[in-house]
Amino acid sequence: MLFNLLVLIATICTFAVQEFIPPIEIANMATLFLPAVFFMCASVAVPFMMMLVLAFVTGIIWDARYLPPAMMDVVQQPETLSLMGGVGGDSNLMGGNLAFGISVMLFGLLGAFMQGVRPLFKRGRLELPVLMVGAVTFIWLMAQYLLITFMRGSFNFQQGVWSKMVTDTLLSMLVAPLIFLVLHWMAKLSSYEIKYEGLRYNFDGR
Amino acid sequence: MKKLNLLALLLFIAGAVSVFTLNTPTTRAIQQRVMAILAPFIHSSAAVQDAVSAGGPSLDPRQVQKDNEELRIQLQNLKIIAQKYNQLIEENNSLRKLLDYKQSYPFKISAARVVKRSSTTWWNTLIIDKGSLDGIGTDSPVITDIGLVGKTGKLAPHMAEVILLTDESCRVSAKVEGTLEQGILSGERGGLEVRPNLRLKFLSRDAAVNIGSNVYSSGEGGVFPAGILLGQLKRFENRDITGEGIVEPAVDFSSIEHVFVVEMEIQVDKQAPTPAPPAANAPRPAAAADDVVPKAEPVIIKQP
Repeated sequence: MLFNLLVLIATICTFAVQEFIPPIEIANMATLFLPAVFFMCASVAVPFMMMLVLAFVTGIIWDARYLPPAMMDVVQQPETLSLMGGVGGDSNLMGGNLAFGISVMLFGLLGAFMQGVRPLFKRGRLELPVLMVGAVTFIWLMAQYLLITFMRGSFNFQQGVWSKMVTDTLLSMLVAPLIFLVLHWMAKLSSYEIKYEGLRYNFDGR
Repeated sequence: MKKLNLLALLLFIAGAVSVFTLNTPTTRAIQQRVMAILAPFIHSSAAVQDAVSAGGPSLDPRQVQKDNEELRIQLQNLKIIAQKYNQLIEENNSLRKLLDYKQSYPFKISAARVVKRSSTTWWNTLIIDKGSLDGIGTDSPVITDIGLVGKTGKLAPHMAEVILLTDESCRVSAKVEGTLEQGILSGERGGLEVRPNLRLKFLSRDAAVNIGSNVYSSGEGGVFPAGILLGQLKRFENRDITGEGIVEPAVDFSSIEHVFVVEMEIQVDKQAPTPAPPAANAPRPAAAADDVVPKAEPVIIKQP
């Protein structure tokens, strides 16, 4: 229980840390999305119910911080429109953004994927979970891009999109082992048993 | 699946659906609150970034002195221009009174410093150091002395996010200089480079536009005033039924340090019906004109 609380607090703290992570300009402003990567790593360390709680919290804060604000309905600002020259125009042309809450659904779905490798993680194997973090980061970015494409129309994949997604994925895979170590340290601190020791065979040399 | 997990999943879906159904003011309020909470960290990160970049080669004192002298001369020139400008404003106002000319609505400009460029997934944004408590509202145009930068998005008390013109979601009704061609200017999807091209869509097919012409905002929308420089036309392409211009943005988004937020001062008589554009020769009642037409004021520039 204490471990779950610690993970939740750590997830929220990653949003503050994210502000200090600079983008890589040569890779189309690719960067490490720490809250998302931390959530994906934490998803394999916590039970299913806690994963859903983390997905909800991470998704809400992510959308609140990074999603552009939705446009007000035209009827809510008639004065501005009449002043600026009538109906139509810029304020009617701002659609096509993702809806607030989309990240909650995406993180929930991706967290469920990550739960699939939980048995391996509990046995102390990190290779597949690290690969899964990379794959899930790529799927997350691709899903966002495809949703935007679906809402705005015209299928358009520039080369920069791929380089950004690949760089983001590689960065997430690079950091994932460190986050797993932090999670193990937090588990030790809170006396939470991540590892399932029952199947481990110890050879004592005799 | 365990019953408890199934219950948790149902609760999660219900929660997600309830978030989806939140109305725009509520989501904006949530976004503002989160921005306000994270604002100290954003400021700190910008300070760290500045400190790191200041750790580079030190400035040459001679060069600084030379720059200082140049700036002094520029300041003196600008003071003279400002005097002339005020004289012109007064002259303009007296001529307006003589003609009973409907004055365009005044706007206020607030100067702001660029704190940092945000690193997000698919959006081009930056952060400025003025927010809701500094009198800035959401969806206000943001400009530099060169041209349009974008519009304000989320707000914190002393911080605001600016959605850049290079973002596909920031669309501006635009016109090509020297022609009657009008279209909609927006960034390219996934155009996350430092200075990506913009696309001017919905032009006439085979439109007679000159490459290199300036592209200005037409002011026909509800957000951006007319006459702001957006960029230069680089190329024109014919599509199936419309023409499309490739526009190089006027502003170099990688090197912006200061911007100006334009706040339109709305002074409308709530009782009066929405004013329609007057006919060319139609007489305007003087009393109604006094209600609507504000007194002439020079543009207010707040120093940061």
